[in-house]
Amino acid sequence: MTDTPDTSRSRRGRSKSWGTAATVHAVLLGYTIIALFPVIVVILNSFKNRRGIFTEPLALPGPETFSLEGYSTVLSEGSFLLYYGNSLIVTVVSLFLILLLGAMAAHALSEYRFRLNGILSVYMILGIMVPIRLGTVAILQLMVQLDLVNTLVSLIFVYTAQGLPIAVFILTEFMRTLSRDIKDCARVDGLSEYRIFFEVVLPLVRPVLATVAVFSMIPIWNDLWFPLILASSDATKTVTLGVQQFIGQYTVNWSAVLASLSIAILPVLVLYAIFSRQLISGITSGAVKG
Amino acid sequence: MSDLVLKDVRKAFGKTEVIHGIDLHVTDGEFVVFVGPSGCGKSTLLRMIAGLEEISGGDVVIGDETVNDIAPSDRGIAMVFQSYALYPHKDVYGNMAFALRHAGEDKKLINERVRKAADILGLEHLLKRRPKELSGGQRQRVAIGRAIVRDPEIFLFDEPLSNLDAALRVQMRVELLRLHQRLETTMIYVTHDQVEAMTLADRIVVLRDGRIEQVGTPLELYHHPRNAFVAGFIGSPKMNFLAAERQGATTVTTHGSAQIEVPVEARDGTGPVTLGIRPEHVEMVAPEEGTLSGEVLVAERLGGETYLHVDLGNEEPFVVKADGGVMQKTGERIGLRFPPQALHLFDEDGTAFEHRERHALIA
Repeated sequence: MTDTPDTSRSRRGRSKSWGTAATVHAVLLGYTIIALFPVIVVILNSFKNRRGIFTEPLALPGPETFSLEGYSTVLSEGSFLLYYGNSLIVTVVSLFLILLLGAMAAHALSEYRFRLNGILSVYMILGIMVPIRLGTVAILQLMVQLDLVNTLVSLIFVYTAQGLPIAVFILTEFMRTLSRDIKDCARVDGLSEYRIFFEVVLPLVRPVLATVAVFSMIPIWNDLWFPLILASSDATKTVTLGVQQFIGQYTVNWSAVLASLSIAILPVLVLYAIFSRQLISGITSGAVKG
Repeated sequence: MSDLVLKDVRKAFGKTEVIHGIDLHVTDGEFVVFVGPSGCGKSTLLRMIAGLEEISGGDVVIGDETVNDIAPSDRGIAMVFQSYALYPHKDVYGNMAFALRHAGEDKKLINERVRKAADILGLEHLLKRRPKELSGGQRQRVAIGRAIVRDPEIFLFDEPLSNLDAALRVQMRVELLRLHQRLETTMIYVTHDQVEAMTLADRIVVLRDGRIEQVGTPLELYHHPRNAFVAGFIGSPKMNFLAAERQGATTVTTHGSAQIEVPVEARDGTGPVTLGIRPEHVEMVAPEEGTLSGEVLVAERLGGETYLHVDLGNEEPFVVKADGGVMQKTGERIGLRFPPQALHLFDEDGTAFEHRERHALIA
């Protein structure tokens, strides 16, 4: 008897939630298609010859149009691997510095009571509001004076500075929610402040570190601006800059451009795969966990 | 021997002083409970003993060493925290072994100590689990085990049971008592729960606003509170207070007419005083036989006992602890009689008048 109204209510609830789910999935699906479309077109066309690209840009590579000429051009071009390596070095080192310095700063700001703490934390995150490119001229002058132009170090410095504010901001907020007891406990256990940071705090914020890593990594890997200005020499070009060599004034080697772009996507995918499991919990942890 | 001595210990945050000169001597093997309302500085004091808060003034002495500038890990203390503070990425064994591993102890010794502590607390079968796979009570046991493993001279507990549900709290309380009997180590325990304080402590330290109000055995505080604050804080339900007027050396009147003789040391003078009596000491009689009488506002029936809230015309109702079987209902008038030896008298500052005789249970 009493079951009947309950069942109908739950059925209504279910159909309603089914409707919601359908809408949500439609939106997500639409967005996924829009977001993936250019990437797929790039990858598809990278496997075609020049004719194939221009006659039917959206078609799958067929027996007539399939060609690896783009890839062979790119890979036989010795300098491309160099650029690729440059990009990797710059991204990985910057990322490491952003995470390490950002987490250390966040730990200090959230853990220690000292004068100027408030002002310092505002100062640290002020960079979020000021685009670093506004300072390009000053940065260039500085790098010239430091004799760092056309070195990877200059890029690493700039990217570290660019990534730090958001890293400090996110990590500070999260570290404030960490229990103070656990750090005190480590102190009673005899750990130094550095070891508390590395052995207790860092494992606890690992998901957030992954989130920050992904957010910081993509703009660095994709950046064209600073490599062009600070490190455009042949020895220090990054992938984004290196692609330009296939774009001539009169002719563009599209197969090669698309092939190099396809290769350039790879490391981002790999890093994302490494971080993604942590990433989800990192994004939601602030909201769900009390 | 490791007595703990606090000498005029002070703590200030910026210009605000929160601990105003605490003097205390805890003898080796004692179970001392710091109790007080929230914000009274009890946790801060404990953290100062632990070395987690800097000491702004005075000395903390453990054994014969002043430890003011000694790191927490070198003070011979172990601390159990309210939130358990287990390392989530280590299993139970790893948590318990952590401090010793860090100190570079021999693996065999670590293993031996962890096994022994796990045995005391019944944790042997859980050693491979992660903290998130444990229940609240088990987590707290691991936290205590982690302290035992360090073999400290003093255990510090910061409200360790307040995150547990009521039934578990009672159980853990008993376990803590047995642990203390077994280890015979000094324990200092912070709580806001006066029941925990009464049941666990050899001596209770009642704190308010960064000052010690009274130090004594649980029964001493219960029967001979030094002031109205301690009298009101110890005991549940709390002591009833009645405004009164002192007529002679030890005679007071309350509510106009009622003359009451209180067996306390005589003092000169007259003036306003406060009369205190615990709900469990009030005798319930017929309205006309009582020293005072009033109407029952609420009857809280707990089964075995009943708390009657009686309206005596004061702001706060007067609480009487009666038998579970009393028939009185809301709206009925009852009379109240006060056995003289159970009465407390406080002057205008809240300071208690000394009782002429000490309670039989207190030597």
